[in-house]
Amino acid sequence: MAELEGKRALITGAATGLGRAIAELFVERGATVFLTDINEEGVAATADELGAAGSCKCDVASSADQEAQFAAAVEAMGGLDLVVNNAGIEIASILVEQSEEDFDRMMDINVKGVWLGMKHATPHLVAGGGGTIVNMSSVAGVGGAPLLGSYCASKAAVIQLTRVAAVELRAHNIRVNAVCPAFIDTAMVDRLVAPVEALTGLPFEDLTALKQGRRGTPAEVAEMTAFLASDDASWTTGSHYVLDNALTAGLL
Amino acid sequence: MAQLENKVAIVTGAGQGIGKAVSEALAAEGATVVVSDINADAAASVAQAIGGSSFAADASSEADVQALVKHAVDTHGGLDIMVANAGIAHMAPLVGQSLEEWRKVTAINLDGVFLATRYGAPVIAEGGGGTIVNIASITAQAAAPLIGSYAAAKAAVVSLTQTAAIELRDAGVRVNAICPGFIDTQLVNDRKADFEALGLPMPFDDLIAAKQGRYGTPEEVGKLAVFLAGPRSSFSSGSAYVLDGGARASVL
Repeated sequence: MAELEGKRALITGAATGLGRAIAELFVERGATVFLTDINEEGVAATADELGAAGSCKCDVASSADQEAQFAAAVEAMGGLDLVVNNAGIEIASILVEQSEEDFDRMMDINVKGVWLGMKHATPHLVAGGGGTIVNMSSVAGVGGAPLLGSYCASKAAVIQLTRVAAVELRAHNIRVNAVCPAFIDTAMVDRLVAPVEALTGLPFEDLTALKQGRRGTPAEVAEMTAFLASDDASWTTGSHYVLDNALTAGLL
Repeated sequence: MAQLENKVAIVTGAGQGIGKAVSEALAAEGATVVVSDINADAAASVAQAIGGSSFAADASSEADVQALVKHAVDTHGGLDIMVANAGIAHMAPLVGQSLEEWRKVTAINLDGVFLATRYGAPVIAEGGGGTIVNIASITAQAAAPLIGSYAAAKAAVVSLTQTAAIELRDAGVRVNAICPGFIDTQLVNDRKADFEALGLPMPFDDLIAAKQGRYGTPEEVGKLAVFLAGPRSSFSSGSAYVLDGGARASVL
């Protein structure tokens, strides 16, 4: 079940964190992977470690980079079946105090980056008779959080892009879904601890434990991604699958 | 590798349709399944094909559900997975439905899930933890005429899922719901004519094709149930997973 034998996948933001964990599991399940990241050396090292088909630098906010990464992936793997639009950034700041430059950067990477990923992947997926796209959203896409205003808006936008792409691409046999993880044990979440504690005066780890029991692991996000990417999810499209150990189920 | 080796599962309403397919999918992944249905013959016939055992029970009867859980423990040594699937639909406009029919639908579709949680969870916790999967419906999120009692009960199932997930987290019991769109089952087939009698602009099957591409299959629900029942969804709890071919993604 949820095996990816024979599938060719491109994963963005794959040098570290969630993207790396997804790449690792995809390889374990039999997929061929092509890894990209804005950190060219980092992703090359990860690709080397995991036995990827190749890697390249990609600034997901750049249309030229996006086009080039898919061309390189198809060249290296002979085609494309799965795309994981994972690359994203967080910026912690009070929403109304955030600089216009930071807000634009957030939208460029987290929203436009996902849109460009779907836009440039689609012709290759269509050429192969269909495929699957998984976009990385967040529980911040379904609920708000202090200091994460533009991030929350960007992740909600990812859910909406996912819905519309799913409906429009259904006839091309392309499924599009989003994953919405809660706080996962990554460097990105580590970076949030101090600013959130400074603003709210609440102990971040205790609050996380109360709301979601523990931090999730990158491997657990990878499992959800692999499920949605696999043929086991053949009728799931346009959905956002929350992965949060009951964080958003709770009011308190 | 089988995901549910050495696990004992109960599936209610398992004599046909989604419950039968979920039972088959769990068994295919190595689980021992107690196939339960109000129709003893149907349950026995499914159990004969997949192993495990069968147990006739009315999902809305407290005594029956208690006996069902006791049967799993006595016969198979414990309980790890509960799939609360049993459900019925009664077609009638809200204004025009008898209180008796309303109560019959909520008794099975909602009380049945409460009883499965009420008596299943303690035994699952005692064995070191496990999972509960409640079969809800996309009608929990958006309505359709003539199935008001069904939809209200399914929305309540999603709410119950949230509370159960929070209350049972520390006991190691994960609780999730599946919200399928229209699946190719007897329950849906028997009701097409009633929907068409409302004066739809097109045949019901064409409307389904426009909204959700095609009918989902019981087997596709089975695959998601396996994912949520097993270790690969270890950070999922309290969520309602929509499986609908994109129907809910579009407002049109």
